[in-house]
Amino acid sequence: MKYKSQKVARLYFIAALVLFVAQILFGLIMGLQYVMGDFLFPYMPFNVARMVHTNALIVWLLMAFMGAAYYLVPEEAETELAMPWLATLMFWIFFLAAGATVAGYLLLSYSDLAKLTMNDMLPTMGREFLEQPTITKLGIVVVALAFLLNIGLTILKGRKTVINLVLLMGLTGLAVFFLFSFYNPTNVVLDKYYWWWVVHLWVEGVWELILGAILAFVLIKTTGVDREVIEKWLYIIIAMTLITGIIGTGHHYYWIGTPEYWQWWGSIFSAMEPIPFFMMTVFAFNMVNKRRRNHPNKAAMLWALGTAVMAFLGAGVWGFLHTLAPVNYYTHGSQITAAHGHMAFYGAYVMISLTIISYAMPMLMGRTAANSNRSQVREMWGFWLMTISIVFITLFLTGAGVLQAFLQRMGENPTPFMVVQDKIALFYWLREITGVVFLIGLIVYLSSFFVGRNEPEPEVAVAE
Amino acid sequence: MAESAVVEQNDKERRYPPGDLAIWIFILAELSVFAVFFAAYAFTRLNHVELFNEYQQHLDRRSALINTLALITSSYFVVRAVAAIKADNAKGCIRWLLAAIGMGFVFLVVKSMEYAHHFSLGVNLSTNTFYMFYLSLTFFHFMHVMMGMIILAAVAFKAKQGAYSATEHTGVETGASYWHMVDLVWLILFPLVYVMR
Amino acid sequence: MAQAFTKTMARNIFYGGTLFFFLLFLALTFDSHGQFPSRDNRAALESPDLGPKIALGKKLWEENDCIGCHTLLGEGAYFAPELGNVYKRFGESKEAIMGFIKSRPKDGVPGRRSMPQFNFTDEELDALAEFLKYVSGINTSHWPPNVNG
Repeated sequence: MKYKSQKVARLYFIAALVLFVAQILFGLIMGLQYVMGDFLFPYMPFNVARMVHTNALIVWLLMAFMGAAYYLVPEEAETELAMPWLATLMFWIFFLAAGATVAGYLLLSYSDLAKLTMNDMLPTMGREFLEQPTITKLGIVVVALAFLLNIGLTILKGRKTVINLVLLMGLTGLAVFFLFSFYNPTNVVLDKYYWWWVVHLWVEGVWELILGAILAFVLIKTTGVDREVIEKWLYIIIAMTLITGIIGTGHHYYWIGTPEYWQWWGSIFSAMEPIPFFMMTVFAFNMVNKRRRNHPNKAAMLWALGTAVMAFLGAGVWGFLHTLAPVNYYTHGSQITAAHGHMAFYGAYVMISLTIISYAMPMLMGRTAANSNRSQVREMWGFWLMTISIVFITLFLTGAGVLQAFLQRMGENPTPFMVVQDKIALFYWLREITGVVFLIGLIVYLSSFFVGRNEPEPEVAVAE
Repeated sequence: MAESAVVEQNDKERRYPPGDLAIWIFILAELSVFAVFFAAYAFTRLNHVELFNEYQQHLDRRSALINTLALITSSYFVVRAVAAIKADNAKGCIRWLLAAIGMGFVFLVVKSMEYAHHFSLGVNLSTNTFYMFYLSLTFFHFMHVMMGMIILAAVAFKAKQGAYSATEHTGVETGASYWHMVDLVWLILFPLVYVMR
Repeated sequence: MAQAFTKTMARNIFYGGTLFFFLLFLALTFDSHGQFPSRDNRAALESPDLGPKIALGKKLWEENDCIGCHTLLGEGAYFAPELGNVYKRFGESKEAIMGFIKSRPKDGVPGRRSMPQFNFTDEELDALAEFLKYVSGINTSHWPPNVNG
């Protein structure tokens, strides 16, 4: 850590991990409700647990992205953060707003929350992933603007690197496309059309810029490969991402009342969306093979390579699986979608967040470059437990989804939804058990922060 | 220093493919998109032969032929532009590039007139499967022509600033490569959509 | 090799490609807007009688987070049945939909998934049913494959 103001990232990272725990706990509750339908009913209906599960994920990823930006932007720009106090202030506003929103979800009925927050004035609630009360949404906008101002000014006054530029573009895009969450017409087709401008253009668009920038930063730091080479790759990867991903939005426009040509446009372009992810995998392994130094933080390297592989599998392969319109006709809105969602979010965005946390946290905690050997080994156990769990969760959900599509949507005598759900309950049990293993992995991972704190860093030849 | 420059220059002359490697990755990606589109067209056509045959009659093949000639000519001009800069003739290079851009304009005007005709008849992407493909393919290509013209204009602008010479002309080759791709796609598109029965 | 692949070119492809495909996306969006009126069951929305009811129905749909369990045209949670076509599944009967919502037991069904009891008024029930009826009139290119959703 070269600049004092980078330290603010620590707050963001810790809060992100706290919300990560909440996300997983509520995920387990939902998983149990899938097989024991009356679990916690009527005190916590499924939809409430799901809101906390998905919203906690979104908020902790945003926290991690912001933390990543506060950490890497000063280092790249070679200057202190423009306004460190603003970063701290915004953290507390964001964290308290997120906490209050979750408390609202848990303590009030959703309709009472809507009344309390005066949803009538500007109705934006009750749409998937955008369940936050309008006032929380406005808060997110304020936090995002203050954040962009802070980061933007820092970049302006310092060295302008490609990584900083790409990160800033990604974060700006994130803020801009979030504005579509305020557009909520009664016309369901229009509502859905622009809802995807938030959701798709986030996760299959601008977020990938953020992902690419963070990955590039960590690879420069850990491998010592020439910046010029890494930046070139970064540009080509994000170029392919947006070239395929923007029109790729069309793969959501097959069955929601949108014109039928989207089936062609969406299929063709989204079929290419795995390409940038594949390039990312090749890129990461290439850079590590060409490394000029052995960084003592082996765990961070593992997370970086893990991101490259799992993002390709989850977002690329599992996305491709059901992206072609004739396939999607049978899989749309089934457990296949859920399978893809879990591995893609974990592989791309959870893992890149944990990559930067793994890389930066030792320095933020006052160490030179890495945690002790014991801590790193523990962290890698967490990595493998969580990653293998998510692979199995995905496989079980895929099994459930294939059966669901087959029983409910194909053949002579299609079976009603609830009957099918009973028939595939075995897969849900297996998923829930794997979910518990994931939680164990998470606990192991978190415990790595507390072991070997007084032990020295592993010794490697550091050539720089 | 001088020695390494010479080596580099020899490297460049031997280098294949010409232009920047990044543009070739991009061209490959573009060609695969078009290839998938063409395959989808051919496949759908097989299932709707009569519909496609009927509506293909409504297309203006004379305009398309003019456009084909315009693009082939423009590609020739671009070849001359590359040859010119290799002979250290920056002025000639700029002139040939402008001529190629001019032919691009011819293409855009003719194609726009065709579109105007279709739109005046109320044809759009949802009229039928044939028009969906026809409009999608040609409009996607139309945008590529515009893109190619912007690239050629940028190359011409840089040439005017004296950025290129007999030894350093990667940029010209890069722009030329892209333009040839746009031309090549049309050469497949034209028979596939306008002529083939 | 290092010379053959320049950062400037990669950057230009990024900016050029992004702008190009975003413009194309806007063009397709523009065309889609031209097509929506013939597909999105606008007639129901614009009817002076049904329009306000549907608007109320959608508001209730949102303010009770129905999407947190159900899918609507395949989007939402996969815990409970698809509702985009529920009007058709329930024999094109608004009364059947209203009756179902009204009859949910307050404390759920032992061991089973159950919809909560929302205590809607008759007016609200009617608005929700009208909303679901409106959605079932959207042209979804024959999705879902059958009435089970």
